[in-house]
Amino acid sequence: MLINQLMNMPTGSPQIKKVMLVGLPNTGKSQVYNNLTGDYSVVANSPLTTLETKRARCRLAEQSYEVIDSPGLHSLYNPSEEELTVRDLILSEEIDILVQCMDACRLKQSLTLTAHLLTLGIPMVISLNSMDEIARKGISIDPVALSRLLGVQVVASVAVQGQGTEELKEAISRVEAGGPEIIPCGEKIEGWLAELGSKLPVEAPYKRAISLLVLLDDPLILDYVNKMYGPAAVNDLQQQVKLIKGNLRFNIGQVINQQRSRWLDRVAEEVTHRTKPQSHGFAQEFARLSRHPVFGIPILLVFLYSMFYVVVNVANVISEWMSDVLWMPVEAKISGLIPLGFWHDFLIGDYGILSMGLANALMTVLPILSVFFLVFNIIEDIGYLPNLSVLTKRLLGKLGLSGSAIIPLVLGFGCKTVATLSTKTLKSKKEKYIAVYLIAFAIPCAAQMGLNMSILGRIGLSAFVIVFSVLFVVEILVGMALNKILTKQGQGLVFIQELTAIRLPNLKGVLKKTYYRIYWFLKESLPVFLGAALALFVIDKLGVLTATKRLLNPLIEGFLGLPSAMTDAIILCLVRHEAAAGVMINLVKKGQLDYIQCIVAVTVTTMVVPCFANIMAMAKEVGGKQTLVMIILIVMSSFAIGGALRWTLVALL
Amino acid sequence: MRNRKREKEEHLERLWGMKEGEQEAVEYLEDSMKGDFDAQLVEELAEDGMVALSEGNRKIVLTESGEKEARRIIRAHRIAERLLHDVLGGEFETGACEFEHTVTSELVDSICILLGHPRTCPHGMAIPEGECCRRSERTTRNMVIPLTEAELNQSARIAYINCRDDMLLHRLDDLQVRPGIKVKLHQRYPCFVIECEGASIALDEDIVATICVWSQGPPVDRPKLELSPKEKKPRPWWSKGLMAGRKRHGKI
Repeated sequence: MLINQLMNMPTGSPQIKKVMLVGLPNTGKSQVYNNLTGDYSVVANSPLTTLETKRARCRLAEQSYEVIDSPGLHSLYNPSEEELTVRDLILSEEIDILVQCMDACRLKQSLTLTAHLLTLGIPMVISLNSMDEIARKGISIDPVALSRLLGVQVVASVAVQGQGTEELKEAISRVEAGGPEIIPCGEKIEGWLAELGSKLPVEAPYKRAISLLVLLDDPLILDYVNKMYGPAAVNDLQQQVKLIKGNLRFNIGQVINQQRSRWLDRVAEEVTHRTKPQSHGFAQEFARLSRHPVFGIPILLVFLYSMFYVVVNVANVISEWMSDVLWMPVEAKISGLIPLGFWHDFLIGDYGILSMGLANALMTVLPILSVFFLVFNIIEDIGYLPNLSVLTKRLLGKLGLSGSAIIPLVLGFGCKTVATLSTKTLKSKKEKYIAVYLIAFAIPCAAQMGLNMSILGRIGLSAFVIVFSVLFVVEILVGMALNKILTKQGQGLVFIQELTAIRLPNLKGVLKKTYYRIYWFLKESLPVFLGAALALFVIDKLGVLTATKRLLNPLIEGFLGLPSAMTDAIILCLVRHEAAAGVMINLVKKGQLDYIQCIVAVTVTTMVVPCFANIMAMAKEVGGKQTLVMIILIVMSSFAIGGALRWTLVALL
Repeated sequence: MRNRKREKEEHLERLWGMKEGEQEAVEYLEDSMKGDFDAQLVEELAEDGMVALSEGNRKIVLTESGEKEARRIIRAHRIAERLLHDVLGGEFETGACEFEHTVTSELVDSICILLGHPRTCPHGMAIPEGECCRRSERTTRNMVIPLTEAELNQSARIAYINCRDDMLLHRLDDLQVRPGIKVKLHQRYPCFVIECEGASIALDEDIVATICVWSQGPPVDRPKLELSPKEKKPRPWWSKGLMAGRKRHGKI
């Protein structure tokens, strides 16, 4: 009996169906993923947000599903590096259901991908997102007609608000096995596809898609065929292609493209209706101004200044208040209870686990980061950052960076680790090296930016302007130097970058993202803050810290002109920049850092060493040896620049 | 009796195609010409010094002068295809086949200038360069201009994309930058930004320069190919637009 039951159990885990989310970059895949699974994948109004696939389980109507979130995909043909991972995943994972996320505002572009996906023959559902935005533009899209024309279920939704989630879940659970209809390519080409398909093993899946890619001379599909079915199949296919193409009087790729274009023009025309005349919305006008060579710069400065203003006038005030009301009384109480000595120092001394660890993290850094992240997430949600790439294009060209390196650099202002990982899209080795170096060096990540603003805001706006001008100039000079030194290896990519549409921020999404950023900060950093305080306490008690300070004294005090207490902050930079910032804020409060010292201190700590996660990402992208070389160079040059800055300021002021 | 000159030209044209496909077998020529193959004519071509036969008359290649002649015919054919396809839309093969045998090189060059020196035919095959392309001749106002020279914020319909890089063409196609689609040039500095089908795209100047658009509004909305192919739309442009062009330029 038992054996019978076992025999009847199909192999693998068939109870769990695999649902993969695919779509063009920035079409709300991660948002839909979050809506479906209740898990959280970072959502931003920017391409290259999701770099790795993410998976989670969910249960709909008595059926378990594994939902896979994937990076953006334009087409199955000739994928870029990050698109290739998606294609490989689709071809190798036995996906049961594809959910294509479409941006209603980019219907035709999305339909191109649909045409590619339909060749796979995997059951599909379409989640048609941004229905609110398209309505605002005065265009209506008829999901029912679209569904009829494509032969797949189409769910209209506004993913950021969670609208359409229930309908999508229902649609997924309704999907039956068996592929959607195909778009015929014409008798002749269909014949060739069948001929090519017959060269693959009978049981091979996705024959049509693979044959089409082979026919189009996709540079990597034969590798896949080789891996799956061996060199004999590759040989057969190549022979067959030669036979077909020998007699050809046209470029197959272009003819197939033309057919697809006609198909999607027809589909788009049938499903879209203009409800009111096209008008230039405020958002579009704003996007245009933000890219304008003249108006773009003031807009950038306004964004920077408003962040600064909010950090200084809101975050710092909250932080002061928390420190005064929540921490001071506690400290006083402990001070009264425990006499001076070991335990006093352990809890609330210079390196006390409560003072330097807990209070630093929760009372000083946390409120500043919360407020800053809120502002930063709003700006990110507006979609402003990718538009910056237009303004910086020419400047970056001078640094030996082609246009495709722009988005990774801009992403660096969010998280340097993510930015470093996204340099994998760069094909030229030289470009990648320069981009990784520049990201690691003088670009402050969002957390650093917020805390730097908080520190410098206590001294004055001019300090902030000086520090950021210096960082900017340093970055440019380093880029130019690297461009000169490094020899060109590999071809730079042509630059074609879709810009994100500007939209009003979605408050719920922004709050949720801020919540997660703070949650991750606490989860990752709180133990680090406590551990670092403990470590410093131990080496202080052992006398090692004093010895180190004495050793570094000529550098810190002599060359940089900083108080020796700044050594703690620089050591903490090795562990976590936020912890160092907390220490510096306390030094400023106690009046131990003056105007020049503060500028030098912030400049040096911003550059000195990237955080641990960033270093790991660097090692992944350029290798361990190169990472080590970069870090040594970065550390040395940041001290050199700090010193030079100090002497310049002393001479000038 | 059929026109001998014309038949020779058909053979030369086919041989050019074989050269592009790296084929040299006479048998192949016979196959691909189907019923029109004429062994005696091939011999005449060899006598004229247009083709060279080898390996016991089994291999055939164009000689230098044959290549020159074939090049002229192919150029006329493909330019004609371009003209008929871009301007009139729809079926263009038959017209082009007639055209190639009747026009002079000068007329072909004039059309080439008018169209902004296209580099590929609608099938994506290369159009051999003419004298005019080498001199990059310009009339005072081309009908088709590179998008880099288009007016800012004016909708312009893409005529064709002067690019032989298949990968790049596919990428542009994925973004819906393709013939027949309306685009707008937003800005040139600090980086080119175009708007296409609701999306803004930033790209290199080199790529924008390959996108050729109708300079003064498209001639006509192309007939929809999925309507019944027989249903011909009136083509007011052909008489209006081209005549207007003729007046302005003095000649086409």
